[in-house]
Amino acid sequence: MPFTAVVRSEWIKISSVRASSGSLLAVFVVALALNLALYVSVGGPEPDGAGDPVFRALFQTNYAQLAAISFGATAVSSEYLNGALRNSLAAVPRRGLLYAAKAAVTGGAALVVGLVTSFTTFFAGQAFAGEYAIGIGEPGALRGCFGAGMYLALMALLAFGLTFLLRSAVATLSILTPALLMLPFVIGDVAAGAADYLPDRAGRQILHQDPVGQVGPWAGLGVAALWTAAALLAGWWAMRRRDA
Amino acid sequence: MTSIDVRNLTKEYAGRPPKRAVDGLTFSVEPGRVTGFLGPNGAGKSTTMRLVLGLDRPSSGTATVGGRPYTALAEPLRTVGALLDAQAAHGSRTARNHLRALAASHRIPDRRVDEVLAGTGLAGAARRRVRTFSLGMRQRLGIAAALLGDPAVLLLDEPANGLDPEGIVWIRELLRGLAAEGRTVFVSSHLMNETALFADHLVVLGRGRLLADVPMREFIDAHSHARVRVRTGDPVRLRATLLAEGWVVGEGADEAGRWVVEGASAEEIGAVTAREGIPVFELADERASLEQAYLALTSEEAEHAAAPRPRSASLEA
Repeated sequence: MPFTAVVRSEWIKISSVRASSGSLLAVFVVALALNLALYVSVGGPEPDGAGDPVFRALFQTNYAQLAAISFGATAVSSEYLNGALRNSLAAVPRRGLLYAAKAAVTGGAALVVGLVTSFTTFFAGQAFAGEYAIGIGEPGALRGCFGAGMYLALMALLAFGLTFLLRSAVATLSILTPALLMLPFVIGDVAAGAADYLPDRAGRQILHQDPVGQVGPWAGLGVAALWTAAALLAGWWAMRRRDA
Repeated sequence: MTSIDVRNLTKEYAGRPPKRAVDGLTFSVEPGRVTGFLGPNGAGKSTTMRLVLGLDRPSSGTATVGGRPYTALAEPLRTVGALLDAQAAHGSRTARNHLRALAASHRIPDRRVDEVLAGTGLAGAARRRVRTFSLGMRQRLGIAAALLGDPAVLLLDEPANGLDPEGIVWIRELLRGLAAEGRTVFVSSHLMNETALFADHLVVLGRGRLLADVPMREFIDAHSHARVRVRTGDPVRLRATLLAEGWVVGEGADEAGRWVVEGASAEEIGAVTAREGIPVFELADERASLEQAYLALTSEEAEHAAAPRPRSASLEA
């Protein structure tokens, strides 16, 4: 059974379930809507031009990531509804093949939508940024746009792995959402250095022209990728040894 | 040909005490006939089917299809079609997309998807979301999925569940037709009378253990008492003659005027009445139903299990 055939099967599954295709679309829609709302109404998140110029243009990634983790979680959780996984495994009994194909489709779709989102929102926002507008030629801007797309794909896959481990989108989202939104503040107060290595904090370094903190932009994305790899391994370990 | 072979299959779930859902099962399901897989709820039928499909891992023993473990089949849907749970199709997918996703992994064309949808009477509902389906329609969709790869082996868990009377006739004819084409058809059910209408062979489970693996006719004969019903123009002489020859005859006739003779066959009673010149209007063996035979078997088993082990040789005598 060729990998490409299983990938096609997984793509049909993900694109034909509203919860998954909807949250994938939401990555783009949420980011663009927020971005335009802020830039058109008041000229951006920092209308006086304060802060990092590249991050100002890509701040919407913070919100798009919630849609990205929902996408990663629902792409998996639909398999844990009413024993659907049994149908899937009856068709593709090699669990590694099924897992890899599903991860490839989830990660691939999130990457494409993430990149389209980051570039579209960058240009759309900057068109309304007035005197503080930056172009794609601004140092760190191109890197930031590519990085934002990759970051969104990594977050989707982080949720993907966790959902295979926990077998529920609700469980994944109730761990990841507070972890991504609140944990950096909590840990940041206690141990400033450690917070730099949390997946979201490290991964979003690349959204800055001149990131502050211990890890650089690409190294930060690498740290986020390690977290994602760990989640994918944990999900694989769970899926491989459990009865379906 | 492709048979299902189960050898010493055991599945134990952790717990205190550990629960043996399947306990040392050995049987084969042969092609060309419908094999009914019987047992009460919780007997281990579904677990056995999941073990055959490689979805659960056995604690010990093996289950193979055509001599190979299911998980070693290159394109399993082309060998085995399975219906495990009709609820498993995602509610927000259309019936057609549900099947297309399964078909795509085997490079089965969409044309075949439309074929099985038409064959199961779902052509009109192909683009409706599964959420809107009745249980009977979901059952048909599950059967359509099982037929996708035109498999030599079908493994169906309670396929008649939720079907209306018309659907039950349909599934019965479908199963018999598939077996007539030389396929291996393995169908679990807890409904005895339904199974009696399509099965040729039976595998019976009770509490995870194999109770019987026999042709259905034989199963019914083995677990039911012979009995004859006879209607005569001279009941007084019939009764006296039979009693004199040592037969056990009922106290009175039923509402249709038939007398019941226990432990007899129609041949035996027919010979007696012919010799004596007693006029007979009706003479028939009364077959037990599969349900009665099954209940007889399980009550035998229960007695067996409840009987205390003999403590000494003298008690056994």
